[in-house]
Amino acid sequence: MPIPASRWLLRWRWALVAVSLPVLVGLWWAFRPEKLWVNQKVNEAAPFEASADPKPVLTGRFEAKAEQTSGRATIYQKPGGEEYLRLSDFSAPKGGDLHIELKGDSNGTDLGPLKNVQGDQNYDLPAAADPNKYEAVVIYSQQSHTVFGLAKLEPF
Amino acid sequence: MFRTIQITGAIAMLTGMTSFGQEKAQPLETGTFHGKVHPTSGRATIYKEGDGRLLLRLTNFKTSNGPDVHVVLIAAKDADDDANFLKSSTERLELGSLKGNEGDQNYDIPAGTDLKKFQTVSIYCVRFNANFGAAPLEKF
Repeated sequence: MPIPASRWLLRWRWALVAVSLPVLVGLWWAFRPEKLWVNQKVNEAAPFEASADPKPVLTGRFEAKAEQTSGRATIYQKPGGEEYLRLSDFSAPKGGDLHIELKGDSNGTDLGPLKNVQGDQNYDLPAAADPNKYEAVVIYSQQSHTVFGLAKLEPF
Repeated sequence: MFRTIQITGAIAMLTGMTSFGQEKAQPLETGTFHGKVHPTSGRATIYKEGDGRLLLRLTNFKTSNGPDVHVVLIAAKDADDDANFLKSSTERLELGSLKGNEGDQNYDIPAGTDLKKFQTVSIYCVRFNANFGAAPLEKF
């Protein structure tokens, strides 16, 4: 006569516990499911924060649009609060009456004609502007009314 | 005797001043994290400190918490979500265990690391060989 399943379980319950416990511990160790709910927050200071130099606030790389443009656009904040835009490793094609513009949530701010189509250059930003509202730096041709290049700004 | 003390004092002051002048750190490369399977975001920046040491700093950083997660530099231009660097035999450089899945944090980069070769920061789950998120680095 075969032993009923319940009797079999009853007889081997300690063996079952002994086998399943290490398996469960092993699964817990491998997947650590509690980490789905537990966040580990750290906040280490930059080891060099002490300097009084302007700090990068937003930065982005230029993507070529209508024409080949490349380089980086960064908005810096001086210790006094004034901001300026700096282009580095910058390159754009000659001609086309190029202007540099800041695009924000509503409309653009014209920072004036591009000083140079090659190399590093700085542009002062209008005072009392919130740098976090700027979304992109645009190289705009006022001759052909096209966007030559665009750098999307992200927090530094 | 007094003169010796004076000279040592002057030397100590000078070295103190020069090390103070070297406090500045320059950002060399920077990039932002992407990763959708294990949502990862924030910025990774490699700084060169005044004394020449390299430092990786994560800012506005966030990823999903997981088992045995490490910060590695990989010799690739970028990495896909969940990429397995063992399978793809991508060369990687271990920077240590992830200190936290949220917040700003610093990691030392070994001296002599070729940054032209290691172009991407990866948040790598070593236990499951899966890339949680990657930040391709570009010149700052």
